Amino acid sequence: MLFFFVNAYWPGYGIAVTQVLYIIGLFVVLKRCQVNPYWALIPGFREYHLSRCCDREHEGRVFFVLCILSLVSELYLIINSAKDGSGEVKTISVVTAFFLMLVMFAAVGEFVYTIRIFAGLCDLFGYSKKYLWFYFLFGREVMLWILGFGNASPKFIYLENTNGEGAKLSGMEAETLESGLTVNIEERTVSEFFKKRQLLRDIHLNIEPGRMVLLLGGSGAGKTTFLNAVNGYEKADAKITLNGIDLYEEYAKMKYNIGFVPQMDLMRVKDSVELTVEDAAKLRLPTFMNAKQREERIDEVLSFFGLMPVKKSLCSKLSGGQRKRLSIAMEYISNPDLFILDEPDSGLDGVMARELMQGLRKVADQGKIVIVITHSPDRVADLFDDVIVLAKDSKLTGRLAYYGSIEKALDFFNTDSMEKIVLRINREEEGGEGFADMFIEKYAEVCHV
Amino acid sequence: MSDNNVNAPVYTNFSTKHRGRLAQIPIYLGKFFRMFVYMNDWTVIPMAAIMALLVAYVTREGIFITMEGTFKGTLALMCVALWNGCFNSIQVVCRERGIVKREHRSGLHISSYMIAHMIYQMFLCILQTVTTIGVFVFVRIEFPVMNGIITGGILVDIAITVFLITYAADMLSLFISSVVKDTTMAMTVMPLMLMVQLIFSGGIFSLPPSLDGLSSLMISNQGLTCLCIQADYNNLPSTSGWTLLKKIADSESADPQVAESIMMIENEGYDEVIRVETAKANFREDYVLNEDNIIVCWVLLSGSILFYAGAAVIVLEFIDKDKR
Repeated sequence: MLFFFVNAYWPGYGIAVTQVLYIIGLFVVLKRCQVNPYWALIPGFREYHLSRCCDREHEGRVFFVLCILSLVSELYLIINSAKDGSGEVKTISVVTAFFLMLVMFAAVGEFVYTIRIFAGLCDLFGYSKKYLWFYFLFGREVMLWILGFGNASPKFIYLENTNGEGAKLSGMEAETLESGLTVNIEERTVSEFFKKRQLLRDIHLNIEPGRMVLLLGGSGAGKTTFLNAVNGYEKADAKITLNGIDLYEEYAKMKYNIGFVPQMDLMRVKDSVELTVEDAAKLRLPTFMNAKQREERIDEVLSFFGLMPVKKSLCSKLSGGQRKRLSIAMEYISNPDLFILDEPDSGLDGVMARELMQGLRKVADQGKIVIVITHSPDRVADLFDDVIVLAKDSKLTGRLAYYGSIEKALDFFNTDSMEKIVLRINREEEGGEGFADMFIEKYAEVCHV
Repeated sequence: MSDNNVNAPVYTNFSTKHRGRLAQIPIYLGKFFRMFVYMNDWTVIPMAAIMALLVAYVTREGIFITMEGTFKGTLALMCVALWNGCFNSIQVVCRERGIVKREHRSGLHISSYMIAHMIYQMFLCILQTVTTIGVFVFVRIEFPVMNGIITGGILVDIAITVFLITYAADMLSLFISSVVKDTTMAMTVMPLMLMVQLIFSGGIFSLPPSLDGLSSLMISNQGLTCLCIQADYNNLPSTSGWTLLKKIADSESADPQVAESIMMIENEGYDEVIRVETAKANFREDYVLNEDNIIVCWVLLSGSILFYAGAAVIVLEFIDKDKR
């Protein structure tokens, strides 16, 4: 709209004026979000950095790709048009039509992703989503000027503090246990979108057989990444041993000795309970077991998890709790030494969740290591032996803030509940107290003593 | 949970062996055949019968009788096979992507999973082919009166081609289903894929020579070519030329001299000559009935099957990279 308005008064200047206004708006918004404002001059990158301000990095990446696609296609069309000499497209070849289609596709995509990024910026600055109408009616320039020159300030600064040092390294190393799990993670990094991100760093601990361990941490602290690194699914710069055997080196063999229960109940719902467990057994149990031994084991596990009455039922007929137990039974069938569960109590009420955790306690009592992530730790805290607390340090890297018994954890964090531990280590912009670095360093000191 | 102590022996001893690639295939075959019964996968068979019935009724006047009827009829038959194949497998992998990821973590070999799918889909495609040909026979379509050039039976030859088209389309859809992350995306991509197949089939639009190479790689193009060869397209009479002339003669707005000339041609018995000449003009080199041409089409269709299945395995091997 602004473009047409400007063009009506100063014919030919529409693009130039709107671009200048857009860059100024971006410059101010990026500056207010503590990002280098000169990114506003580079197409693609500027929208990417804008998206990072409001925690919409994925949208920013897609926008960047669409922007490159659009630029390349437009460049081809301009060169092609220049070759023609007349500057007009007389006949459209297949290739030209293809690039025209790409430009259209990119334009629609850019429009949609701009809406997503601006919606995120509205949240960041505390504006109602109705403000998006300024974008629809007057253009992105006007929207950015409102955000940049309005009275509202960004509620949070989401961006990584790259100048920060993060918490100090502990300098520890866990001694390899002959029986049990030893974790020595130096770091776990991922490379994405031209940059390397450190997800975990400096995590060293030993877990003895028979322990049931609670894994605690705020959102994005790296709990699932930690579990994936521990079970060898996503390798880190680490040495993980289970019963003295290097898990990374012998992953192909060792994976059968680790049970991982994902958060979702991933099973074919139109299959029966018995056949679901039987197929899991065929996959996970060794070949030396004959059909009779396998059947006995299936009945044993179904009975242990209280699923015998529904043995012949379809999985779709099970209740939430039963499905969860079936999901656990599928992993437990191979009697693994290390048992890892990612939020097994999600979607369950208090009674069912406690019943489920009591079952896991029994698994641990058989000499297994059980590690559990849960977002409602206080209702089942008494069932756990130890707690691992992961926290994001000032560099947003997952670090070990505590590992030890539940009682000592409450003392260590000077609080009376597990959920308050999470509050103490969460960043201020996440509604926490922001003491992660302090506790990470305090734990390292305690360990050295 | 029960208080029974499950003190099972250590099954995961370091030296124990687990099921390899070959031994895992029956596990998944069993699952898929159960899905055939419980998840209503069997509905693809009556669907194939309905589609074949509709096409058979519409095309039965001309298919395998005249050049034009054969071309339209084989195009429709190819479309039935193509759509049957696509609908069989477009959702099968993406709808259980999370489950496959979990099972991959528990020791599933992706190649075993895909081979099981290939066997199961082959079973579906055979049933659909038998159904389609059965419906054509039931509707009393007049198949070419000659021996099949490869197997000796014309019905068997045509059935093999229909099966290969269905199975190749099935594998293409299986590949798409392995690439996309959810069923919504799969159902968005599928019409696009069908459009590309139809455009490049050479049956609806005449394509520029520069696209011949691309077109010959399409399942639809090879399928249509093979069916036209088997129908002995080049030796069928053509009616289009004479029908057009008759239409002109019957038109009220036609020049009386032109109409009179056309009537004279008919009266003197030259209409048959025009039919023969039109057939000569419609002659297509790639539709010449011989063993080599059919074998080339079958090899290309089989190549497509292997290519798409292989690509699906490779793509699915990266399933661990899926985000939570």
